[in-house]
Amino acid sequence: MTRDDALRLAHAYADGELDASGAAEMEAAMAADPVVRAAVDRVREISRAIRDRAEYHAAPATLAAPWRAAPGAPADARRRFWLGQAALVAGTAAVTWAATFAVLRRGERPSLEHDVFASHVRATLGGRLIDVASSDQHTVKPWLSSRLPFSPPVVDLSGQGFELRGGRVDRVGGQAVAVLVYSRRRHMIDVFVWPGREPAAPEEASRDGFNLAGFDFGGMSACAISDLNRNELEDFVHALQHGAA
Amino acid sequence: MDAAYNLARWLTRNDDDARDVVQDALLRAFRALDDLRGEARPWLLAIVRNGCMRWLKSHRPAELAEADAAESAADPHTPETLALGAVDRRMLNEALAALPAQFREALILRELEELSYRDIARVTGAPIGTVMSRLARARRLLADSLRAISRASAPRVHE
Repeated sequence: MTRDDALRLAHAYADGELDASGAAEMEAAMAADPVVRAAVDRVREISRAIRDRAEYHAAPATLAAPWRAAPGAPADARRRFWLGQAALVAGTAAVTWAATFAVLRRGERPSLEHDVFASHVRATLGGRLIDVASSDQHTVKPWLSSRLPFSPPVVDLSGQGFELRGGRVDRVGGQAVAVLVYSRRRHMIDVFVWPGREPAAPEEASRDGFNLAGFDFGGMSACAISDLNRNELEDFVHALQHGAA
Repeated sequence: MDAAYNLARWLTRNDDDARDVVQDALLRAFRALDDLRGEARPWLLAIVRNGCMRWLKSHRPAELAEADAAESAADPHTPETLALGAVDRRMLNEALAALPAQFREALILRELEELSYRDIARVTGAPIGTVMSRLARARRLLADSLRAISRASAPRVHE
């Protein structure tokens, strides 16, 4: 690899977009040439600066939750607001429905894995990921066990860089399951937990850009799903299993 | 939903228009169900992005022309170090907001939404090679403007 090639690929390398052989060549070029190494460092530096310091504009509450109308707004403005909200709800429902339908259309028989996937997509797109919002495991666990015939393990992983965001109850494969919601950076991770030892997904599966991992979680069945990359999802699963042990 | 709003907010640079664009995009998504292929997130972001581009074309056409000019400009190699320590949130957000739309969207999709090149290509309708060169150029433009800002705000004498 010439220096020019290496400099051209510095961004793709820093973004993790090179395949294994490309990355290996790039690492050799970095070891051999300080100019290449400096170029990659610069890309990483600016990339980190944007991630750390650029503002993330979350959707305002009125956009995310149409039932929170502003009281006292003039009637006309309020009517326009509700029309907009109706369109928004219809749109969200449509997208959710379409995502589920896209899965079904492939002619697959609905399975546990499919239910997990559909629930995750529905929750992330519809913005209804969390019914009990808390980073405290001692709040989330009793909330879940008061609504379910079992009590899932809830583990605090903030030390490992995974924040507990809360939980919800959902139905998968015809039974009520606990869903623990964690996040890492912008990625949401859903962990479906139910009693039994039958895994919903193989240890490694992926579907439309989401990674799934089935695992044993303190004697219960669990399946984690996220758009997080495979390696970090595996780290997450190991940390969870370790915490529940 | 946050991803849709974040992209629209960065491209239109104000709350009301971002909200309108996202609502309009969801309506369009509803009508365009038949076109749905593959993953839902890039698909929805592509509709939001196209809504933003239509909005920019009718409200701020100059910005799109500016982006074309910047893209074709020569790309000098800058071996200087960045010294980003002196750059605070405000400076960074201002410099990012001042980038031409095409570069701004590439950085938002990559750094804040953490999309892969393939998904950015899907959202922006550009080939992957173009995504890669746009990102490279976007980071360089941002680094240049941050360097200029931090120099202007904190002049230092080098012995």
